[in-house]
Amino acid sequence: MAPSFDFASSLLCTEDSAVFDESHNNGGTMMSMMGVYEDTWSPRKRHFDEEPDELPLLSDESLAMMVEKECQHWPGLRCLNKLQTGDLDFGARMEAVDWILKVRSHFGYCSRSSLVIQNYLDRFLCAYELPKGRVWTMQLLAVACLSLAAKLDETEVPLSLDLQVGESKFLFEAKTIQRMELLVLSTLKWRMQAITPFTFLDYFLCKINDDQSPLRSSIMRSIQLISSTARGIDFLEFKPSEIAAAVAMYVMGETQTVDTGKATSFLIQHVEKERLLKCVKMIQELSCNSGSAKDSSASVTCLPQSPIGVLDALCFSYKSDDTNAGSSVNSSHNSPVAKRRKLNKTCGADLL
Amino acid sequence: MEKYEKLEKVGEGTYGKVYKAREKASGSLVALKKTRLEMDEEGVPPTALREVSLLQLLSQSIYIVRLLSVEHVDKVPKSQKSSSNPLTKPILYLVFEYLDTDLKKFIDSHRKGPNPRPLPPPLIQSFLFQLCKGVAHCHSHGVLHRDLKPQNLLLDQHKGILKIADLGLGRAFTVPLKSYTHEIVTLWYRAPEVLLGSTHYSTGVDIWSVGCIFAEMVRRQALFPGDSEFQQLIHIFKMLGTPTEENWPGVTSLRDWHVYPRWEPQSLAKNVPSLGPDGVDLLSKMLKYNPSERISAKAALDHPYFDSLDKSQF
Repeated sequence: MAPSFDFASSLLCTEDSAVFDESHNNGGTMMSMMGVYEDTWSPRKRHFDEEPDELPLLSDESLAMMVEKECQHWPGLRCLNKLQTGDLDFGARMEAVDWILKVRSHFGYCSRSSLVIQNYLDRFLCAYELPKGRVWTMQLLAVACLSLAAKLDETEVPLSLDLQVGESKFLFEAKTIQRMELLVLSTLKWRMQAITPFTFLDYFLCKINDDQSPLRSSIMRSIQLISSTARGIDFLEFKPSEIAAAVAMYVMGETQTVDTGKATSFLIQHVEKERLLKCVKMIQELSCNSGSAKDSSASVTCLPQSPIGVLDALCFSYKSDDTNAGSSVNSSHNSPVAKRRKLNKTCGADLL
Repeated sequence: MEKYEKLEKVGEGTYGKVYKAREKASGSLVALKKTRLEMDEEGVPPTALREVSLLQLLSQSIYIVRLLSVEHVDKVPKSQKSSSNPLTKPILYLVFEYLDTDLKKFIDSHRKGPNPRPLPPPLIQSFLFQLCKGVAHCHSHGVLHRDLKPQNLLLDQHKGILKIADLGLGRAFTVPLKSYTHEIVTLWYRAPEVLLGSTHYSTGVDIWSVGCIFAEMVRRQALFPGDSEFQQLIHIFKMLGTPTEENWPGVTSLRDWHVYPRWEPQSLAKNVPSLGPDGVDLLSKMLKYNPSERISAKAALDHPYFDSLDKSQF
C-alpha cells in the first residue's frame, strides 16, 4: 500500500517528539510552516490527545517465560565474537545499521522497530554466510529485514521501492527482496516475534516503582537510552532482559524516586547481579556521552528528506505540545549545564 | 510438497485457500493453508508472516492449533512444463494439524438441519474453558488474537477438543504508547472500544469476542449481528444500555463517539434464557464496557461457572 496522508500520522510514535522538539527550539523556520498547516492539523487534535489505555504488564510467570525464550532471539556473544574477529564485516554492518536508522526515522517507525530489524540482521549474519566480496548483499539483507519488520509490526507497510529511501547505493526489485525475505525467514526459522529490551521494560519500570505506573518521561527516557544501545556492538554481549533491567534501574535512579539498593535486590531475581551492574555502568557512560552524540544524531534524523518527511516533522512538532515528554525535554534543553551536573552527580553516586 | 496428497478444499483462511491433505509417509491428515507469493506484489504477506511467527511463539499450548511446518515451493504452471526456462510461481504452504470442523459449523448443525437442539451445557462449559485457556496463553505471551470468532475455533468433535486458529490478524503487544490498526475483528465480535475508534486497545478486545462466542453457543445465534459499524454499536447499546462517563470513563472522548440515543440496559439473562446465574455473571463480566473492568481470560478460568466442570481432563 502506498503512503498517504493518514500514513504519516498513523505512524507517529510519541517518543519521537522529543527528538524533533529539540530541533524545533533551535530554529524558527518551522514556525512559519506551522502557520500554513495549523488548520489542517486542528481537526485531528482529539486523536493526539487520546491517552493510551493501561496496558497489562507481563505477569510474573510471563516474564520468567520471556527470559527463558529470549536466548532464541539473541544473537549474543557468537555475533559479537564474529564482529570483533573480523569474520563479519563490521563496517558493512554499521553502514546497514545507519541506513536502517535513517529509514526508520523517515517513516516515523517506533524505536522498537529498529531494534527488531537489527535483531533479524544480527541473527541472520550469525547463522548464514553471505557471499564475500559482493557488497550489495548486506544492503539487500537490510532492506529485507526492514521490510519484514514493517510487515510484522507496523500498521502501514510502504511499497518496496518507497522503502529504499536514503542514500542507497543499490535499488532492488520486489522479487529480489522477496527472495531475500524468504531466505531470512527460513534461516531464522520464522521466529520473528523478536524479544527486545522493550519486551521487559514496562514490567521492570513498574516493579521498581512499587507497582505504580512510571511517569511518561521515564518511559521516554528509557526508550531513548535503549535505542542508543543499539548503534554499536558494545551491548551485544547483554541479553535484552539485562539491558532493560539496567536502563530501568538507571532511569529510576536518575529521578531519585527509588532506592537503588531495593531496586537491585528486586532485579537480581531475574538477571545476574554482576552483569546487571556492568550494564548499568555502561548505560551511565553512554548517557554521560550522549550530549554531543545526541546533537549530531538529532541533526541527521530531523532533516526531512521528502514531502513525507516534512509532514512527519510537522506532526512531531504539533504532537510534542501535548506530551509530558515535550516539557521534560524543554526543561533539559533550557538548563544543559545543570542537567549535566545532575548526571555527573548521579554517576558518581552510583559508583560508590 | 511431494510429501502430501491433497484430498479436498475445505475453506478459506484470512489470506488463502485451505486444503485437507494426507501426509504420505505417516498417513496422518493435515490442513494446508496456501499463500501465493505473486511477483508483482510485495513479497511475503504480513498476515502470513504474523501468523507463522506468532505460532512459533505460542506453540506449546494444546489450545492453539499446531503448525507442523512451512513449505516454500516454486510451482511450474502446466502451460510451461515443456519450456526450457519456465516462469515459476512461488507458493507458501502452512502445514497444520487437521481438525474436522469449526465452532460455527457445529453451532449451525444444532440450529438447523434434521435435528435442531441446544448444545449440551457441559459441552458449552468445556468449549468455553478451552477457549479461555487458549486466550490466556496468547495474552500471557503478549499476543492479541484480534479475530476470535466461531469460524476460527477448530473442533475435534469426537474428542471434544477446541483449538484457536487463524492468527493472521494477531499481534504482539509489548510496548506501551503504541497504537494499532482500527479495522480488526469481524464486526459481530468487535469490542466497543474498537468500534468507537480507539487504537490503543488491548487484551480486552479478545475477551469481548469470547463473551459474544459464549452467548452464541448458548443461543445458537449471534448476540450482536450488526451489518455496519454504526449498526453494530446500536445492537450493543440497545442491549447493554448506552455507555456513559460513569460506567466507562473516557468513552465520550473516543474518536468516533457521537451523541447516541439513551437506551437503558436490558436484562442480560433474558437474552441467554437457558444459561444459569453463574453463566450470566461470567458473561456480564466479559461484556463490561470499560475494558479495564473486563475479566481476564486467566481470571475467567477460576470463575464459579466452571466449578462443576471436571478440570482434570484439561
